[in-house]
Amino acid sequence: MNNAVLKVSNLKTYFFTGRGTVKAVDGVDFELRRGECLCLVGESGCGKTVTALSILRLFDSPPGKIVDGRVSYDGLDLVKCPSKRLRQIRGKDIAMVFQEAQSALNPVFTIGDQITEQIKLHIPVGYARAKDRAITLLSEVGIPSAESVMSYNPHQLSGGMKQRVLIAMGLSCDPKILIADEPTTAVDVTIKAQILDIFRELKTSRQMSTIFITHDLAVVAEIGDRAVVMYGGKDVETAPVSEIIGNAKHPYTSGLIACLPDIAKSTGRLTSIPGATPNPLEMPQGCAFHPRCPKAMEVCSQQEPTETTISKEHKVNCHLYT
Amino acid sequence: MKNELNHKLIQIKNLKKYYPVTAGLFSRHIGDIKAVDGVTFDISEREIIGLVGESGCGKSTLGKTIPRLEEPTSGEILYRGTDITKLDKKGLRELRGEIQIIFQDPDASLDPRMTVGDSICEPLVIHNIDNEKKRMDRVAELMEQVGLEARQADLYPHEFSGGQKQRIGIARALALNPKLIIADEPVSALDVSIQAQILNLMMDIQEKFGLAYLLIAHDLSVIRHMAHRVAIMYLGKIVELANKQELFENPLHPYTEALLSAVPSFKSKGKGRILLRGDVPSPLNPPSGCHFHPRCHRVLHICSKEEPLLTEMAQDHFVACHLYR
Amino acid sequence: MIKRLQDIIKKISQHLRLNTRLINYYWQRTRRNKLAVAGLAFIIFLVALGIIGPLFTLDPTEVNFEERDMPPVYLPSEQFTYDIQTGQYTTKEIRGTWKHALGTDSKGRDMLAMLVSGARISLLVGLIATGIAIILGTIIGVLSAYLGGWADNALMRFTDVMMTFPFFLLLVLIVFIFGRSLAIIVLAIGLTGWTGAARLLRSESLSLRTREFIVATKALGASDNRVIFRHLIPNVISLIIVIATLSIPSVILAEAALSFIGLGDTTKTSWGIILESGQNTLETSPWVAVEPGIMIFLTVLAFNFLGDGLRDAFDPKSNI
Repeated sequence: MNNAVLKVSNLKTYFFTGRGTVKAVDGVDFELRRGECLCLVGESGCGKTVTALSILRLFDSPPGKIVDGRVSYDGLDLVKCPSKRLRQIRGKDIAMVFQEAQSALNPVFTIGDQITEQIKLHIPVGYARAKDRAITLLSEVGIPSAESVMSYNPHQLSGGMKQRVLIAMGLSCDPKILIADEPTTAVDVTIKAQILDIFRELKTSRQMSTIFITHDLAVVAEIGDRAVVMYGGKDVETAPVSEIIGNAKHPYTSGLIACLPDIAKSTGRLTSIPGATPNPLEMPQGCAFHPRCPKAMEVCSQQEPTETTISKEHKVNCHLYT
Repeated sequence: MKNELNHKLIQIKNLKKYYPVTAGLFSRHIGDIKAVDGVTFDISEREIIGLVGESGCGKSTLGKTIPRLEEPTSGEILYRGTDITKLDKKGLRELRGEIQIIFQDPDASLDPRMTVGDSICEPLVIHNIDNEKKRMDRVAELMEQVGLEARQADLYPHEFSGGQKQRIGIARALALNPKLIIADEPVSALDVSIQAQILNLMMDIQEKFGLAYLLIAHDLSVIRHMAHRVAIMYLGKIVELANKQELFENPLHPYTEALLSAVPSFKSKGKGRILLRGDVPSPLNPPSGCHFHPRCHRVLHICSKEEPLLTEMAQDHFVACHLYR
Repeated sequence: MIKRLQDIIKKISQHLRLNTRLINYYWQRTRRNKLAVAGLAFIIFLVALGIIGPLFTLDPTEVNFEERDMPPVYLPSEQFTYDIQTGQYTTKEIRGTWKHALGTDSKGRDMLAMLVSGARISLLVGLIATGIAIILGTIIGVLSAYLGGWADNALMRFTDVMMTFPFFLLLVLIVFIFGRSLAIIVLAIGLTGWTGAARLLRSESLSLRTREFIVATKALGASDNRVIFRHLIPNVISLIIVIATLSIPSVILAEAALSFIGLGDTTKTSWGIILESGQNTLETSPWVAVEPGIMIFLTVLAFNFLGDGLRDAFDPKSNI
């Protein structure tokens, strides 16, 4: 049974800057299955956003370049397909929702203009039909009085509302895949809860396949089906969310979980991972995590770990399990 | 009475900070943004008090008004019995040594053109403490206390990671041996794995130096770990104030309930969550009566008409809500 | 006493050492821009030329009608002469000599010598006039931003009024009234050219003023003086350098333009003056006008490249 809608294999995106080569994404593998919510988890600089941008080739090039790997979608390799074909896929088959709701909306056009434009770009409909559709979408993401919001300019909306508008825009052409890049990071707790709720609703109502990028494991626990934990441009652990939370294998994953202050109880000191995330220009030899790893062995500083299968669904890149 | 004054470090009484809004050619005054609108609470010596609310609720403004980085519109702020709002320039300078701020963005709060040693030393220079030699020793000591190496004093901020920069900010705040540190979202700009390091450091130095913290955060789980008491703020007002244990186990205000349930966690998967409708309204034109009533899931008739007052419901548990009258 | 002096020297050297590290950091960033490095190299070459060049060249003021209109060595040219006695036109090819490698003008002055002394004059004009403009602009801009209120209003409205005068016309007027000496020209350019710098520095200081590290310093109890001199000015210095680098070429051009329309100081051989003297003989001896033209062109280009490179290097957000 092959129900993968998107398969990323050995993806490598490098940025060639004046100071050296930044291996932002350095050999990432995962597949997105129909109707699931796959979470890419990691801290700043781990390559999760660049991975998502690489799927649609949306990063700045130069300096960025995909040097190796495949992104298979619908029998097509998105890495190699012509940009004209890719433009048809962007927004229509695979849509993206960005983190910065402020800057992702054009301040001089109304909300209605921006959504209808998006619809008309990919679907041959008249203005009236597009407008109807836009209103339906806005109400679907929980915007009250959607009709009047259509004539608003972005600055008239709050941060949470803008984030919803962006989600509505992402949904406008019934994409098969939605990529959401930290949609809950820049908003308040109560708004975060609302937005997570929207994603949960969408999953049940539309059977949408979603790639959800976040640094927050608690968010992953709430909405994710499977998760890919990333560190230093590589996927270090891939497993169903329940496994990640309850049975994490990679020391980095368990470290991240231990770091989270739990709202349910209060203990004295928090557990922390020593050190800082590595400088992308000076990645440590061997396993990128070894300088911070409590279980580091001699081999970790010399050799890069390869993928080990823990169970059918649980894979980890760590010398502890080889 | 005298005794009670002594262990109260800060007493804030009916503090207000309004920003006038003007319009038109002649700057006609058309209203006020009531960022802080009648806040009363106190901070004891060695106490960590958490101040929680969503963006735009006035928590940062409140934090800046206490050391008078923002001039209060009205109200009193007593520091060990002296009214800060009435201090002259000289008195204010001395006070600034006692109350320090740690900022949210460690990147923005350090001068990029100054070595971090100079930055940490600056409070000593400003207040003319010690001679050159002793200052250098003090900088080295401070850097070691926050987990940095003394030889890093000659480096510039861009040579440090985010977590290290926040440590530098903490060292600078400690230089003058303050009694109160106002920490405005000290970890929200940092990576998850770094946040815990900084929070642990803050707890260590609090114990070591007997500091009081006003910890401003939107993240309840951080507060849960560190604070002794918690104040919940909504649109410029404190809606609930209680001991941490009490507040987390027995929240009274519907807004506190919603905030607590909104925090994503490993177990809930969003079940039983109270989802608030809509967003925080504009502080320029807040709703009538209780500011929270349009979003409240337990709203009563009276809520839109009359403003509830902060009243003590149980021992040291204050709430401003019509449900408990 | 001696110990105190030692202390001071130690402190200064310490400060310099630290600053070299920061300067080195920016140099590393600038170095990645090849055009900026080329620009810098050309400017250093020009400065060296201006300082020590005149030692090696002929006297640029020496008139010698025997050797007038000599072509440069790279450009052999023909000369028409009308012989009064025979009443015939004769053409003779003349070749430049290495004595006058870049040729001579209509009065037989050596072009190379004039260009070298012109480099000195033009650079001096550029640097001094820009210096005056930048200092004025910085004082007015930073003060305006920091004081705010009515002082800000007054200073900025004054700037607006200054800006409404067409820069070049004002310059022409001043030179026309006060005379065509180089000092007046430099002063006039400096006193009229600060408005742009003042505006840029004001807006930069305004945004710096609300930055957290300034607030943080105030929270420590720092005085206004300290905030301005220890934090505001060091943080706008990079902008000042960029503005200065980018405005030097316009000053050089302005001086050249003044000279070209005949309002230059004819007692000094600036490039503009040479250019002006060459315009009458453009057909017969084009090198007299073209050579200073090329120098002005290259200098302006070099300063612009360097300015662009510096701007990128100083911008912490640009990833180079």
